[in-house]
Amino acid sequence: MTGLAIVVLLSLGRHPATGRPRRNPDDARALATALALAATRSGSRVLAVHAGDPRAPVLRDYLGQGLDELTVLDMPSGSDPLPSLREHLVALSPDLLLTGQRAENGEASGLLPYLLAEALGMTLVPGVVGLDLQGDQGRFTQALPRGRRRQIEARLPLAATIPAGTAGLPLPSFAAARRGRIVSLPALASPDPHLVAIERQPWRQLPRPQPRRLKGSAIDRLKSMTGGGEAKGRLLVDPDPETAAAQILDRLGEIGLIRASHQSVTSRDTDGRTER
Amino acid sequence: MSRPRLDPRALRLARQVEGGGKRPRFALKADPPALHSRRRDPRLLRMRALVPGARRPRYDWKRDAASGAPSAVPAVDPVPANEPIRVESPAFWVLAVLDQSTGALDETDLQLLSVARRLAGDEGGVVALALADPVLATAGADRLAVWPASAVDPAAAEARAATVQALVESVKPRHVLCSDDPVAGGDIARRLAAKAGLRLVSAVNSLTADGRIGRRAGDETWLQPAPALMTIMPGSFAADEQALREARPLELPPIAFEAARLANIGLLPVDPESLPLDETDFIASAGNGVTDFAAFAEAAAALGATRAGSRVVCDAGLLPRDRQVGASGTVVTARCYLALGIAGAPQHLQGITGVRHVIAVNTDLHAEMIKRADLSIIADAQAVMPALARLARQRQEKP
Ligand SMILES: Cc1cc2nc3c(=O)[nH]c(=O)nc-3n(C[C@H](O)[C@H](O)[C@H](O)COP(=O)(O)OP(=O)(O)OC[C@H]3O[C@@H](n4cnc5c(N)ncnc54)[C@H](O)[C@@H]3O)c2cc1C
Repeated sequence: MTGLAIVVLLSLGRHPATGRPRRNPDDARALATALALAATRSGSRVLAVHAGDPRAPVLRDYLGQGLDELTVLDMPSGSDPLPSLREHLVALSPDLLLTGQRAENGEASGLLPYLLAEALGMTLVPGVVGLDLQGDQGRFTQALPRGRRRQIEARLPLAATIPAGTAGLPLPSFAAARRGRIVSLPALASPDPHLVAIERQPWRQLPRPQPRRLKGSAIDRLKSMTGGGEAKGRLLVDPDPETAAAQILDRLGEIGLIRASHQSVTSRDTDGRTER
Repeated sequence: MSRPRLDPRALRLARQVEGGGKRPRFALKADPPALHSRRRDPRLLRMRALVPGARRPRYDWKRDAASGAPSAVPAVDPVPANEPIRVESPAFWVLAVLDQSTGALDETDLQLLSVARRLAGDEGGVVALALADPVLATAGADRLAVWPASAVDPAAAEARAATVQALVESVKPRHVLCSDDPVAGGDIARRLAAKAGLRLVSAVNSLTADGRIGRRAGDETWLQPAPALMTIMPGSFAADEQALREARPLELPPIAFEAARLANIGLLPVDPESLPLDETDFIASAGNGVTDFAAFAEAAAALGATRAGSRVVCDAGLLPRDRQVGASGTVVTARCYLALGIAGAPQHLQGITGVRHVIAVNTDLHAEMIKRADLSIIADAQAVMPALARLARQRQEKP
């Protein structure tokens, strides 16, 4: 088994409540994943790259996760990191590119990994919470909404975006943070032309959106807010427990939450009185 | 003197009502003053409905509308015609790419269509790219493009992105809208942006009155004209009520797509009890009407539902606090909520406003929860729960 060249992109995070700089949790998780993966394959290298200010103190926290060296493409904040990152990564030609799912600063569109994967000819897998490499075949576990997990297979070279997840992040160790080196490379900085046309206002919490109704009175709108109001459903009064259970299971089958049954006999002849 | 003189005798004659029998009858208030024409005048209505010529006064209340005479009744809303709104060649198209991650239209899909509809306004038309669903016509779609066979699987992100790209090239929509889900619509939008060199504006959460879109960036709101490609933040827009539209099938253009590099292996089984309440899809919830918690646990396990409870139950320590649904607990967005012995206090109902399907079991016919539910069962929860567990296990064994 040959070693892998794993590139991790690290950005500066921003605490959502206090606004203080911090590690981007997604990126920290991606770095932890890369370090764990490199430990399982001898000869693997983790190449961490940051585009921005090499003097940012937060970068030390990334080093504290057990990283020996961090390459920083030196550019002022607010410039477009794509051209210099692309140039740098094409030269490295990694097997695996791990990034966080979304930045916490600036435009945060989550587009950068896609553009880099496109430039490097990599297959991209989003939302990866688990990965297992056998040779050049990777098996990924994706986190879907509603707690579901999906497995995907793809071949190297691969790019994966990684969400922070809810588990706590690895704490940076002070010694490792002191020991790690930051290598700064000069990079060309081009201002992002798209961000100029944007009007910026202070953020304020938006009210909960209310649906527009075609017609209806104030009382209808009130009811629509709580979901209460007039009854609309099917009602069974005093059915025997078996009938009630069959009805519930049939409804769950219709909704698609359990496998619909085709031989429900009891549900058809409802001896409970049906009203409305 | 220019004012015409009143002729009392002529007025009297004009006010005489026919069919009065022997004695002449007069309607003293003949014409309503124009100023108050919107006010309902029962005497006038009665007079207009009077059928002339009959011996005893007869009234025909439909006569007024039939004769086309201006009615004194304020105009009622015209009955909404069940004819769909047709859009032939709109000024521009808006393309809404739907996830339908559960296989059916869910709340985020409806929100996405609402935003598309608002962006389209009266001049534009909405194309939905989705799995066919009859609900789409009532959700604001003028045209419906159905995913091709290669892109039906939600995991086939490459095929889906290629489909959207082909559709964008043939329909040339002014805006393309995707969901913000990073493994579904958001993934497709980013693939498309990277392939087609489009600028993506993600997590759009507001639409201003002048048609600009807003999104959050740190402690700022960024406002800009609506871009060509955007993803919509779930929960930031409400699903509006929509007039009926056509959802006319739209032929897909040929799709240039090489072999898929991602292979879907399938979903992993998940323990429903390990999920936080706001993430799970199916909740079985116990209220004060449940006394047999062993049967409750057994029923929830058999159904594969996550357990939850009302505040009374959590206060009593029968379930942990993080399992409380409601205003002071968790606001849930599950697809189905099975409420066992829950009265449906406002504080509790607030927690389930986002739930589509509610099934209620309660002994009280007049409980609020019964009104909220789309399947209500008036029965003792203690009797229903074991039956439910037994039947669910039976059906699992021999499907
Ligand atoms: C500030 C504030 C915040 C609150 N926040 C929340 C909150 O977040 N979540 C919450 O849940 N509550 C909350 N509450 C409490 C709420 O007002 C109600 O008291 C509570 O929801 C009632 O719970 P319940 O429906 O389980 O109990 P009950 O009101 O006692 O209702 C029990 C129901 O079970 C039925 N029943 C009885 N026996 C049976 C049987 N054998 N089989 C079937 N059905 C039976 C009864 O008919 C009745 O409808 C809050 C209250 C306040 C003041």
